[in-house]
Amino acid sequence: MDYVFYIASVLGALAVWLVMPSTGSNFRKPRKLGALLGLAALGGGLMFLLKQAGDQPGPDVFYYVFTAIAAIAAVRVITHPRPVYAALYFVLVVLAVAGLFIVLEAEFMAFALVIIYAGAILVTYLFVIMLATLPQAVGEEEKAPAYDRVAREPFSSVVLGFALLAVLGHVIFSAKPGELQPTQRYASKGDVVTVVNDMPKRAMKVLVAHDLLPADVPGAKGVRLWAAGDRKIVAVIGDKDAAVDIELNDELRAELAGQIANIDRVGLALFESHPLGIELAGVILLLSMVGAIVIGKKRVLTEIEEGHFVPPAKR
Amino acid sequence: MMDLQTLNHFLLTGALLFVLGLIGFIARRNLIVMFLCTEMMFQGVVVTLTAFSKFHDNLDGQVFVIFVLTIAAAEAAMALGLVVLLYRRRPTLDAESWSTMKG
Repeated sequence: MDYVFYIASVLGALAVWLVMPSTGSNFRKPRKLGALLGLAALGGGLMFLLKQAGDQPGPDVFYYVFTAIAAIAAVRVITHPRPVYAALYFVLVVLAVAGLFIVLEAEFMAFALVIIYAGAILVTYLFVIMLATLPQAVGEEEKAPAYDRVAREPFSSVVLGFALLAVLGHVIFSAKPGELQPTQRYASKGDVVTVVNDMPKRAMKVLVAHDLLPADVPGAKGVRLWAAGDRKIVAVIGDKDAAVDIELNDELRAELAGQIANIDRVGLALFESHPLGIELAGVILLLSMVGAIVIGKKRVLTEIEEGHFVPPAKR
Repeated sequence: MMDLQTLNHFLLTGALLFVLGLIGFIARRNLIVMFLCTEMMFQGVVVTLTAFSKFHDNLDGQVFVIFVLTIAAAEAAMALGLVVLLYRRRPTLDAESWSTMKG
């Protein structure tokens, strides 16, 4: 059953090895063959995934599109001899992963990923590539330095990596349906309860629009709401503490649940459960900023200036 | 909430990105590309975290992605500063050439 996946893994390993920068000898690896093998491996892997989905609903069709884009771009990141192009292909990987996040209905994460990774971190990388590139001799602009043209351990790293992938795939797909259940214990409270308890103003707007609450309540306290389970809201109106039960039909529940977006849920989870983590993240960011400034200001002598330069042949 | 098959698909994508980043980290010799490959391993982990977050209907996975992004940004700033420092000392990005501490 799994053999399609194993064959795809072996083909993928061969393909990545073939398109890796060559090992320095005169033997020129057939890179076109590598590209073909890689496409075959990708097709085999996607076929395996489609067969696994079978009669179950499976993921959205865009999952397959974004996974294919991410896989091809990731291979180009690790095989392109020019770091600038590797960084640009990495932007493509980030965009494909953002697409996968949209498929997973994690919209905030998708936008944060594009803004932070593709927008900020990758620009830092491009700046450093620009700063740390040797001036090239006239006529040799096309020639990348040797450490970009020659891979270190292409064969063993590819074998290791794809063996790991094959094992991971086997373990992932050997889980029987029902063996791995979503944990109900830590599941979110449900959108209706969250909206009513944590964002009462939005819930009130909906209830007022449906004439279930008076629009204008005298008194300083106003209306207090809380959700008694998923289908009933208890509303205490005004200063006289008169409690009113509001039964929710399906239409009303859908409208209440529509009041909360992914970013609201993430924000609530972040600030309700992980306030210490936010503080620590702030400390880490501050430390890294201070550290980067200290590193950047440090004046270093080149080895030639310091007088113990070792010519490259003896290293 | 989603079914187990969909979760498995996303886990495989995460594993693929992680493994490709690992291969690149071992095989490439350019310091900057090696750091780029660790970022790609982060991408695989981030896909896995978000998929599990959806499967368990629990937002902690996505919250953790925010922290991963924070750490990635901090790491990129520090590591690239160090790369520039090394490059000023000896004008090469070859990881192999910095092996004087190998013993």
